[in-house]
Amino acid sequence: MAATPFTAPPMDAKATELPKVDEVVDYNNLPCPLPYEEIHRESLMSLKPEVFEGMRFDFNKALGPKFFLSHSVTMGPTEVPSQSPEPIKIPTANYEFGANYIDPKLMLIGRVSHDGRLNARLKADLTDNLIVKGNASLTSEPHMSHAMGTFDYKGTDYRAQLQVGSGTLLGANYIQSVTPHISLGGEIFWAGQHRKSGVGYAARYSNDKTVATGQVASTGMVALSYVQKVSEKLSFATEFSYNHMSKDVTATVGYDAVLRQARVRGKIDSNGCVTGFLEERLNVGLTFILSAELDHKKKDYKFGFGFTAGE
Amino acid sequence: MASNSGRKRIGSSNDSSNAGVLARVTSTVSESSVYRKGKQTANDASFVTKKLLKSTGKAAWIVGTTFLVLALPLIIELERDGQLDALELQQASLLGTPPTTASSKSY
Repeated sequence: MAATPFTAPPMDAKATELPKVDEVVDYNNLPCPLPYEEIHRESLMSLKPEVFEGMRFDFNKALGPKFFLSHSVTMGPTEVPSQSPEPIKIPTANYEFGANYIDPKLMLIGRVSHDGRLNARLKADLTDNLIVKGNASLTSEPHMSHAMGTFDYKGTDYRAQLQVGSGTLLGANYIQSVTPHISLGGEIFWAGQHRKSGVGYAARYSNDKTVATGQVASTGMVALSYVQKVSEKLSFATEFSYNHMSKDVTATVGYDAVLRQARVRGKIDSNGCVTGFLEERLNVGLTFILSAELDHKKKDYKFGFGFTAGE
Repeated sequence: MASNSGRKRIGSSNDSSNAGVLARVTSTVSESSVYRKGKQTANDASFVTKKLLKSTGKAAWIVGTTFLVLALPLIIELERDGQLDALELQQASLLGTPPTTASSKSY
C-alpha cells in the first residue's frame, strides 16, 4: 500500500517530523471537521484582535480548581452612531463582575455590569457527541434582551448543529469532511422578526501550513480567507469580503507573531485602516496589552492600553 | 491719439519715442514673449512643486505612522525574543550543557 518513503526536504527539517509517505486516503476514517461557525477560526484569530480605546483592566481570581471570579474595569470613549461623518465619542466607564465555572463537561460563565446588563453562557456535554450551548443577554431596556440555544451533534466525520433564538431565529448547519484536508458545509437560517431566510455554503482546506476557507451566503455575502504559517512563530493571513447588497468590498492583510513572551498582531485594510495589537507577558500572571487603530481615511485614531492580572 | 497721450504720460512704456534708454531696454525685455513664457513656466513649476511636496509629505506621514503601528512592535518583540535566546544560550554554555540550535533559527 505504501510506496517507497522519501525523506522530508532538508531545508526546514525539524527533529520530530516524520518522513512523508505516499498514502492511500482512507475515506472511512476522515477526521472530524471544525464546527461550522469556526470555519474562519485561524483568520479571525489573526485578523480580528479586540482593539479597544482607553484603559482596560481585567483581574481573574481563582477560588477553586474550576471556579474563578473576574473583575473588569474599562474606561474610555465609546462611539455613538451619529448622522454627521464625524464620529461622536462619549467617555464612559464600565465595571463588570463575572463568575465562571469551567469543567471539561460543563462550562458556565456569567457577567454582570454595573449598569444592569447580564450576560450568561452555558456549554454542556450531554453525551460524548451531543453538546448543548446557551447564550443569554438581558438588559433593563425593553426589547433589547435576547437568548439563543444551540444543539451540536458530532459524528465521526461530520457535525450538525441546530440553533434556536429569541425573536424566532432558527438556524441549522452541517459540515462534513470529504478528504483529510477538505471539508464542506452548508447552512440555512430563518429570522422571524425580519422575515428573512437564507442559505449559505462554506468550504475549508487545511494543511500543516496553510488554511484556506471560503463562504458564500444568500444574503449576498462572500468571504474568502487564506492563512499561511511562515515559521513556527509567524503567520500571515489575508481576507477578502464582499457584500453584494451594500457593494462593500474589503481586503485585509495581516500578520500574527506568537513569541515566547509576547504576541504581536497587525493588519492593514483596504479602507485605509491600520491596526496593531500587542500582548506581552511581563510576569507570571501579568499581561500588558497595547492596542492601536489608525483610520487614515476618516482620520480617526484610537489607542488603548490595559493589564490582565490573575492566573 | 498717441502723441497726445505721450505728453501726459512721460514714462509710459507705450510711448517709446519719449522714454529713456533704460526704460526702453526694460520694456523690450518685459514685453518679449520669451520672458512671458519663462514667467509662466516658473509659475507652473512652483505650483507643481508645491503640490508634489504636499503629496509627498502626506504620503510620508501615512507611511511613517503605519510603520510605527505595524512594524515597530514586531521589531521590538523580536529583539527581546532574540535577547532571551542569547541569554539561554549563555546560561546553557555556562552550565556546560550543549546548547540546542534548533530554536535559535526559527524565523
